[in-house]
Formats: sequence, structure tokens, C-alpha cells
Amino acid sequence: MSEKLRTIIVEDEELARQLMKSFLSESDKIEIIAECENGFEGVKMINELKPDLVFLDIQMPKITGFELLELLEHKPQIIFATAYDQFAIKAFEYNAADYLLKPYSKDRLLEAVDKVSERIQKEGTTSDVAERIGNYPKEDFLDRVVVKDRHKIHIIPVDHIRYVESMDDYVMIYTTEGRHMKQKTMHYFEDTLNPKEFVRIHRSYIVKVSEINEIQQYEKESYIVILHDKTKLKVSKTGYKNLKDALNF
Amino acid sequence: MDFRHPFLNNPRLALFYGLFWVASALVMMLILVFANGLDYWGALVEVFSSMVVFAIVGTSIWYVVRFSTLENNSAVRILLSHFIAASIIVFLYMYIGVVLIKLLNPAAIEWVNKAFINRIFGGYMLYVIYVVFFYAVNYYYSFKEKVRNEGKLIALVKEAELHALKSQINPHFLFNSLNSISSLTMTNPARAQEMVINLSQLMRYSLKHDQSEKVSFKQELENNNLYLQIEKVRFGSKLEPVFEIDENCLKAEIPNMILQPIYENAIKYGVYEATEPVEIKTVARCSDELLQITISNPYDANVKSKKGEGIGLRNIRDRLQIIYGNPYLLKLEDNKKEFTVTLTIPQKIKQNV
Repeated sequence: MSEKLRTIIVEDEELARQLMKSFLSESDKIEIIAECENGFEGVKMINELKPDLVFLDIQMPKITGFELLELLEHKPQIIFATAYDQFAIKAFEYNAADYLLKPYSKDRLLEAVDKVSERIQKEGTTSDVAERIGNYPKEDFLDRVVVKDRHKIHIIPVDHIRYVESMDDYVMIYTTEGRHMKQKTMHYFEDTLNPKEFVRIHRSYIVKVSEINEIQQYEKESYIVILHDKTKLKVSKTGYKNLKDALNF
Repeated sequence: MDFRHPFLNNPRLALFYGLFWVASALVMMLILVFANGLDYWGALVEVFSSMVVFAIVGTSIWYVVRFSTLENNSAVRILLSHFIAASIIVFLYMYIGVVLIKLLNPAAIEWVNKAFINRIFGGYMLYVIYVVFFYAVNYYYSFKEKVRNEGKLIALVKEAELHALKSQINPHFLFNSLNSISSLTMTNPARAQEMVINLSQLMRYSLKHDQSEKVSFKQELENNNLYLQIEKVRFGSKLEPVFEIDENCLKAEIPNMILQPIYENAIKYGVYEATEPVEIKTVARCSDELLQITISNPYDANVKSKKGEGIGLRNIRDRLQIIYGNPYLLKLEDNKKEFTVTLTIPQKIKQNV
């Protein structure tokens, strides 16, 4: 493989970018095609330029490195570079090629490059980044969700979510302002939204408890909830039990 | 500070007080009956009108003592206020006594008239005894409160120390700074050196200083400036510290490292989430009694993930409460565009002699 790896650096700190570029200039495997200062730019450039490799910081303005991964249509190899060691496990669940802790040495960086180029030779340029494997780690509940429509990235505070509906491989998130589609499973939201606030009432619905205005019997053994804005949602048997537990009736 | 009457706070003390006066009154009654030859009714009325009345009226002397404490008032003022209070209380004591005797045992009024001066003198003497007693009680109370506060202060200082070490030499702050230095060693060794020195100074300051210690505002500003300089190397033009400090304030006293968590917060919510330059503005004004510091930063309300309204800020509030005994010295304002923290630091009040 003689071709160089087309690489994008997503890093908010100027000095950190300079350091990385200067280290990478000594590798003949890397060609830097873009540098991004924040996650928004990162999403745009990666989707547009379809690089082979991305160096990614985690703590960045606007959206984090992990949130960026969820918005990618093109899935390159990822090497994280961060000062935080507590995200390492999560990073590997995203199938990251490597995880560099700042400050890192030149040798360590070039080692990561070798590792990733080997991996690309084995697997091809794209990997299943962002398709998380295994169970979701028990971390804090979500406090925001990042979604992307054709041109814009929206950051939705969890407070604004009214309910979530499943649609095949996607979910539709209904907020106080509108609705957004996201490629995630219902299972993911069931795990990451605070169960004190959100209840799975049906195979297709997770609803915010405070949005519910009324629970009505529909037929024998079957119920619907009516939200404050008159939206009606079906409740399954298990869902009714979940509601009972959450609302204590 | 507790202004409640010690008899209300401490029922046992009130009980002893009551028993003491009942016993004294009984003894006095016996003396009057057997030594002075009064009849029982006459003795009872006499004892009641002199001793019991004073026992009741005298309790109010506490408030006089409480509001003319020895520490904050001049001797002349204390003596004067006690003289006035004593005269009022003695007058009340005499008046009620005479009215009672006239009502209950008119025959004895002549006897009272003869001893009038003696009774007034006795009233003033009792007043003095009460004052001494209440000052002792007051002293005991403030001593106990001081001990209690010191205990709390020590605990808080420990916590603040730990927190300061955790936040100021916050591992991410440190690692990110080291990474910047690593980068600068190649591009700009002089600045790398400067940053190493700043970082060392800051670490030394935060390790050395005792948390209950007060430093000059100047010193506190200089050290926070070190912190901001280091962060500025990382964030570049994104971080714009602006200072509007009245020069007269630099000598003012301030608990050390009380500002650092505020700047840390401002950077975390203001600068970190921003892509444009962010101005962190510090304004200081002062008078003889107060130093007022306002630190504000704009932030993007949409991005801010609202998790835990700063342990750092709560810690500052607790420290100020313990040091100055006032919970309102830290004020937070959030208009969804800008976050403003206002600190009011009382300066040492000059003692008037």
C-alpha cells in the first residue's frame, strides 16, 4: 500500500494541532487534508472529504468527539487524542483504532499511525466506528442529544424532548420545537434517558412522564396516553405496568 | 449571633434563677417576721414588692447587655447606656413596688417612705449584679459559638484545600497545559519556558497557602492572573481577560484562592464551549468597609449542559459565611446570555476606642 492515508485533525486547541502536525510530518504514511477547530466543522469536513483517518479530540466546543461520531455518514478510522483517561473504555466501544493521552510523544503517535495503517490493510479504509458493540456503559444519563438534518446540526437538551417514536432503523425525536430523526435504537434511549423522567410505554414509544395529561382506557386491557397537546399514543401491557411503576398508581 | 434571651434558650438556667429568688425571698420573709416583727402578710407584700418585682423586671437587663457589648462600644457609651437603663429599671421597680404596697398593705407605706433612698440604692446595686451576671453569660455564649465556628472553619478549610488542589492542579488542566508546552518547545521555546515558570508558580502558591489566611487583593489577582495566562496559552484569542480594578482596592484583604474557582467556571462554561473570543471581565470597587468584585462571562445557553451548579461556587459561599458570618456575600446572576458572580468582602472595621 503505497498510497498515503488521507487524514483530518479535529482539535480545538491551536497548539495541540501544531504539535500533532509537526509529529505527523515525519511519517510518510500520512497526508493531512484538513484541520478542524470544532465538532461542527469536523462533521462537515469528514462527510465531505471522506478521509481514511481522523484524529479526534473529545472535549471540544459545541459537540464532543463522541457526539461527532454519531453524526458521520462516512466512517473513517478514528484515533482519539485527549487529556482525559476516563473515556478510554468508551472510545474502544466505538471501535477506535487507538487512544492517545496528552501529552504524548512522537513515537507513541507514530506507533498509532502504524497500527492504524496495518488495520486498514486488513479491513479496508472504513470501519464500523460509531456502531457500538456490547452494552452501553453505565454512565450518567444523557443531558443532550445531537442530531443532524440535511445541512444543520441541532443540539437538543433532554429537557426539550417530549417523546421518542421508533421508525425501523431510526427513531423520531419529538421536541417542544419540532421533530428530528436519528439513527439510534429505542433500546439506546431506554438505557440513556433518565427512567424517572422517561417511560417506555410501547414497543414504539418512550414518553416523558411530565408530558402526559391523561391515561385512558381504550378497550378492555388496552390503554392510550393523551399528552398535553392532545397527541394520543398507544400503551402496551408492559408499558402500562411501566407507567404504573413510574407514577405510583 | 443569637440575641435570644438566655432564659428562653436554656430552661434550666431559668429554673435556677427562679429557685434562687424564691429561696432568697423565703429567707428574707423569715428575717422580716422574726427579726423585724412584721406580720406574715406584711412580710409577704414587702418581699413581693421588692424582690419578686426586681426578679421579673431584672430579666430585661439582658437586652441592655446584649446591645452594648464590650467589644464594639466605647467605655463612655457603655457606662452611659447602663446608667440610663438602670435608672429606668429602678424607677419601674420602685413604682410597681409602691403601687403594690398601697394596694395590698397600705399600712406599710410609711415604712417604705422611710427606706426610700435605701431601696433606690439597693435597686442600683442589684442592677450592677445583674449586669455582671449577664456579661458572664454573654461571654460564655460567644466563647461557645467561637469554638463551634472554629471547628466548622477547620473542616471547611480542609475541604477547600482539597478542592483547590483538585481544581487548580486539575489533572486535565495540567495535562492540557503540558501538551501545550510540549508543542511550544518546538515552535517557541521562550514561551514554553515562560509557561513552565507560570505553571510552577501557580502550583507552589496553591500548595503553600493556608486556606483561612487572608492575602492582599493584589496578591490574589496576581496569582489568578498566572492561572489565566496559562489558560490563555491554550485558548489563545478565545480567552480575553479584562480587568477594571480601582487601584485603591489592591490593598484590601481577601481570603486567598477564593477567585480561582470563579475563573475556572467562567472558562469551563464561557470559553470552552465558545468558538468566538470570550471576554471574562473583572471589575473591582471598594470603600473603607467593603471590597466588591464582579466577574462576568458570556455563555451560550443552548450548549451549556447544566450539570451541578458548581461545587466551587458553593464552597466559596460556605467559606465567606464562616469567615464573615454572612450568607449573602456571594451573588450569582444568570440572564441566559451572561453569567455574573459578585463577591462582597467586608474589610476590617476600625475599632473605636
